[in-house]
Amino acid sequence: MTSNLDIIIAGGGRVGFQTAEILADRGHDVTIIERDERTVSDIADEWTATVIEGDATDPDIIEQAGIERADAIAALTGVSGLNLAVCLAAAELAPDIRTVARIDSAVGDAYTRFVDAVLYPERAGARLAANEILGSDVQTLADVTGTLDIMLVRVAEGAPAAGKQLTDVRFPAGTLIVSDDDGQRIARSDTTLSPGRRYVVAVEPDVAEEVMNLMRG
Amino acid sequence: MSGSQTRSPDAELGLLDATMIGMGAMIGAGIFVLTGLAAEIAGPAAIVVFALNGVVTAFTGLSYAELAASIPKSGGGYAFVREIFDDLSSFIMGWMLWFAYMIAGALYALGFAPNFLELLHVYGLVPPPEQVGAIAVPVVDAAVPIAFLLAFVAVLGLVALNAVSTAASGSAETVFTVVKVCILVVFVGFGFASPMFSGAEFQPLFPDGNGAAAVLPAMGLTFIAFEGYDLITTVTEEVENPRENIPKAIFFSLAATVVVYLAVVTVAVGTLGAAGLADAGEAGIATAATSFMPTGLPIIQNGGALIVFGAVFSTLTALNAVVIASSRVAFSMGREGQLLPSFGQIHHRYGTPFVAILASAVVMLGSVALPTQSAGNMSSLFFLLSFIIVNIAVIRLRRERPNMNRPYTVPFYPAPPLIGIALNLILTAVLVEYLLRTDPLALGLSAGWIGLGGVAYVGLNRLRTPSTGDTAAVDTEEDTNDQ
Repeated sequence: MTSNLDIIIAGGGRVGFQTAEILADRGHDVTIIERDERTVSDIADEWTATVIEGDATDPDIIEQAGIERADAIAALTGVSGLNLAVCLAAAELAPDIRTVARIDSAVGDAYTRFVDAVLYPERAGARLAANEILGSDVQTLADVTGTLDIMLVRVAEGAPAAGKQLTDVRFPAGTLIVSDDDGQRIARSDTTLSPGRRYVVAVEPDVAEEVMNLMRG
Repeated sequence: MSGSQTRSPDAELGLLDATMIGMGAMIGAGIFVLTGLAAEIAGPAAIVVFALNGVVTAFTGLSYAELAASIPKSGGGYAFVREIFDDLSSFIMGWMLWFAYMIAGALYALGFAPNFLELLHVYGLVPPPEQVGAIAVPVVDAAVPIAFLLAFVAVLGLVALNAVSTAASGSAETVFTVVKVCILVVFVGFGFASPMFSGAEFQPLFPDGNGAAAVLPAMGLTFIAFEGYDLITTVTEEVENPRENIPKAIFFSLAATVVVYLAVVTVAVGTLGAAGLADAGEAGIATAATSFMPTGLPIIQNGGALIVFGAVFSTLTALNAVVIASSRVAFSMGREGQLLPSFGQIHHRYGTPFVAILASAVVMLGSVALPTQSAGNMSSLFFLLSFIIVNIAVIRLRRERPNMNRPYTVPFYPAPPLIGIALNLILTAVLVEYLLRTDPLALGLSAGWIGLGGVAYVGLNRLRTPSTGDTAAVDTEEDTNDQ
């Protein structure tokens, strides 16, 4: 009904907690289930989520986290089997809930039979690492959208758009320059496309080449 | 745990700031406006009234501390109740708290007007009566339309300010509170030193006829003077290390407030006498001050003007605080789908919860037509009812979620929340009974608001049923897209 979702996260470690932080920053209500007492205390200090201390596979604990009102549950502990069990138990208690499990290996694709989505933090991390290592001038940031490409593009020396203000450059329809100054600010009409700097750009695939031409030469 | 992300509004308020926000909400309008009215009902026992109210409200303060430390939400009482209760109960809580704040706004506006007139008198800008101490009644009588107009304009001005800008809600609160407390300290200091101060004014402590029984209805009326901790918990997100600082801020602000109240009421009764205080009504403290403060000072001429200025300043800042607080409650209800969705939206140009502020303004402006006492009674009534629900929420959360992490726990549980419920219930009953006898209008309006809430709830549910189907459809669509 509302724009804020009720989200349960099982496992308040690095992945679980940072996920909770991002979700809470976007205004969602997050409840974390965490077994380790010290981690619980650390999370409480950060003031991002209500914390239930206990074992996330225990139906009683899941219920205490408010499963009947939750929109989604994400099992993000480091143990794949445990995550799957949490999602299965949650789906049993609340059939409509969206379930997300963190899985260690690519074999986990088979798990999508049981949960709504699986994720591999390691693989996501690996993709980022590869991007960084290659230091490419054009990086695809995410495959989150249907066909849109969200990219980080370095403006090349001598490219048509280099050194120009955005108002002076005629990008094809279907292009959006998102960021300014290496990701410090959102682009404005007076933003200058400095050579050597990187800009986040969203493009529709059929104009991608034209945009590359303008920015890379 | 040092994530690269930080909580959305930066945590920049320290323990002192949080304490000051709570004190700022409590000290000020409540004490300036309600002391005279409490003296009218309870006589010199007004001092007992404020002391006992401090005790009663401390139990609810404990409950607020536990909830605020364990539920990381900045919505105040409504957010906590929403966490554990079903739709209907949390709707009722929000609906009542919203009203309590709006009526409190009317109360402060009504308190602002006579104090502002008094300030003008001191400088002879308004047809001046000779003796400041004796003027209140005839002048207020003669100036009723002006006072009403002033209250109306005050609400309108602050609403407009908050509707188009978020600047007024900043952390200037600490400075405001320090100013208010300093002014009251000056008042207390001069009062005790004044030759007018006499312990004889407290004899007999309980006026003839009513006796000690009059204390209870006076407690009901002045209960609103202690509601500040709800306001602390609406800014929790901005406080550093909230799980320690919020409970502390609640207790410190409550303790400091009780001390200040007792000192101020002692001086007011001791100098002006309960009868004189009662005659002065909403301008009680200001009138007491002008009676004993030194005159002929440079610039401000009359020392009493300082206190009167304090009253004007306090009522205005308190009015500003409740304009913000009431719109925040309506805004959270809108976010949670418990009011029309437009209540939960931020205006695209002003960045403020525009609809929530406007809706609150309508009720506030309408309520300015009420007598001050009715406004105080209604606001206190709804705060009492809301606080009962908050205490129940603590008990219910302990039962249903025993494993929830609670950085602060109420000591001697379950006694404090149970005592809190019982005491608040007693005050509610006394207040309702008192209203039945003396102020059926206030009681009728209160019942009307709850009735209106019922209609709104049913209406919203009707409206929601088809749209719930829609969102479910959208959800599944997203799911298929993802895979």
